[in-house]
Amino acid sequence: MNRPGAVVIVGESIAGLTAARELRRRGYAGSLTMIGREPEGAYARPPLSKEVLREATYEAHLAYPHADLDLAYIRSAAVGLDASSRIVSTADGRFVPYDALLIATGADARRLARTAQAGELVLRTLADARLIRRRIERARSAIVVGAGFLGLEVASACVAQGVEVTVVDSEPPLLRHLGPFVSERVGAHLTRHGVRLIQAAEHVHLVGDPVTGVALSDGSTQSADLVITCAGDVPAVAWLSGTGLADSVGVAIDERCSTSIPGVYAAGDVAYLIPGTGERASRAPFWSNAVAQGKVAAASILGEPRPHPPRDDYFWTEILGLPVKVVGPLPVNGDPTSIEGDVDAGDAVLRWESPGANPTVVAYGRKVPVGRLRRALVRAAP
Amino acid sequence: MKIQVHYDRCEGHGLCAEQAPDLFSLDDDAELIYHAEGAEVGSEELVRARAAIASCPVAALREIP
Ligand SMILES: Cc1cc2nc3c(=O)[nH]c(=O)nc-3n(C[C@H](O)[C@H](O)[C@H](O)COP(=O)(O)OP(=O)(O)OC[C@H]3O[C@@H](n4cnc5c(N)ncnc54)[C@H](O)[C@@H]3O)c2cc1C
Ligand code: SF4
Repeated sequence: MNRPGAVVIVGESIAGLTAARELRRRGYAGSLTMIGREPEGAYARPPLSKEVLREATYEAHLAYPHADLDLAYIRSAAVGLDASSRIVSTADGRFVPYDALLIATGADARRLARTAQAGELVLRTLADARLIRRRIERARSAIVVGAGFLGLEVASACVAQGVEVTVVDSEPPLLRHLGPFVSERVGAHLTRHGVRLIQAAEHVHLVGDPVTGVALSDGSTQSADLVITCAGDVPAVAWLSGTGLADSVGVAIDERCSTSIPGVYAAGDVAYLIPGTGERASRAPFWSNAVAQGKVAAASILGEPRPHPPRDDYFWTEILGLPVKVVGPLPVNGDPTSIEGDVDAGDAVLRWESPGANPTVVAYGRKVPVGRLRRALVRAAP
Repeated sequence: MKIQVHYDRCEGHGLCAEQAPDLFSLDDDAELIYHAEGAEVGSEELVRARAAIASCPVAALREIP
C-alpha cells in the first residue's frame, strides 16, 4: 500500500505524539506536521490533578521529548476541516494540506456556568492546574462539583493543603464507574478524612458572578472560597463542524482507528469505538487508551496491520493516599464476585466476573504489578 | 543516551514495560526495575526506549545525554 506523502496530526498530546513516534518507528520518513493549541506542547496530563496541585516544582517534569521526531509544528488551533480538498485551516490563517489526517484533539472540560457567568474553574490543562493550585494556596474552603475520579483527586489535593472541602454530586462517589460496593467504601474513606459529601437531588447550578457557590434543587446554597467544576469532559470537535465526522458522543472510529472519511483517522479522548450490537456508544477517555489508539492509527495511516486492538482498559486514580488501579471494562455491575484481602484497610483486590464478559479487576489500595492485574491472574496473598 | 528513572515519581503503571520489555519490568511488589541502570541505551533499543519515556503517564523517565 502507498505511504502518504504528508501526514498532519491535530492535537499535541499523548494520542497525537504517540502516533507521531510510532510513524517514525515504522520508518515513515515523510512530512509530519503537528498542529497544537497549547503553548507548552505535549505534557503528561494525569499529574495535573495529583502532584501538580500540591507542588509547583513538579511542572518541570511534565514535558515529553520530541526533538528526535522531525516534526513541523504549528502552535495554533485548527478551526476547520475541508475533507474533500484535504485541508486543515488554523486560527492563525494557515491552510495545511494532508494526505492522511489524525484527529487527536482530545476533550475539553465540561462547564456548568451560564453563558457570561464568570469565574468557573475547571481542570484540563496545565494552565488550569496552575490557576487552581494558586487558588488552593489562598483558600480556606472549597466546593468540588462532581464526585468522579477527577473531582475526588482535586478534593484530595485540597485536603492535603488543609482546605476544608465539600464534594457535591447527584450521585455517590464513583458509583457510575465502580458500582455501589466501591462507592460506599470510598465514601467512608473520604468522610474519615474530613471531606463533606453532599448528594444533591438533582443537578446543581453555579451561583454568583464570578462564581461563589452552588445552588441545590432544595433551594439551599453552599458557598466557598473556591468552586471547582469536575463534571466530566466533552470531545473537542468544534473544528470538525460540517464534516459529519463528529456526533454528540465524539468521532466514531473502527478497529483500525479509521473514521467515516478515507484518509482521516482519530485516536484518544476525542474518539469512540463504533459499538457492537447491543452496546452503548461511549468514549473511554483514559491515558492507556490514547496510547493504544495512537499506535493503531499510525499503523493504519501507513496501510500496515494494526499491532493490537485499539483499546487498553487500564485506569488508575488516587483518593487521599489510596491508590486504585482498574483493569478491564467499566462500568462494573453490582458487587464484586470475589474479594481478596481487607477492603477497609485499603489492601484488597476485587474482581467482577460474569459469563461471556471480560472480567474487571480492581486493586484497591494494594500494590499489585499491573502486568499481573492485566492478566487477571491475581491470586490470594499467601 | 541514558535513561534516568525517578523512582519516587513512578506509580508502577507499567506502560514503559509494555513499550520496552527488555529495559523495564515490574517486580512482585509492583516496583519498577530498570535493567540498564547507569548504562548507555544501545542504538537498537533507542526507539523503544523513547517510546517508553513518552508513554509514562507521570513522566518519571527522562532521557539524559
Ligand atoms: C487532570 C486530569 C487527570 C487525569 N488523570 C488520569 C489518570 O489518572 N488516569 C488516566 O488513565 N487518565 C487520566 N486522565 C485522562 C488522560 O489524561 C486522557 O485520557 C489523555 O490525556 C487523552 O489524550 P489525548 O491525546 O486523546 O487528548 P488530550 O490529552 O486532551 O489532548 C488533546 C490536545 O489537543 C489540543 N486541541 C484541542 N482542540 C484543538 C484544535 N482545534 N486545534 C489544535 N489543538 C487542539 C488540546 O489543547 C490538547 O492539547 C486525566 C485527565 C485530566 C485532565
Ligand atoms: S510507565 Fe512510568 S509510572 Fe509506569 S512503571 Fe514505567 S516509569 Fe513507572
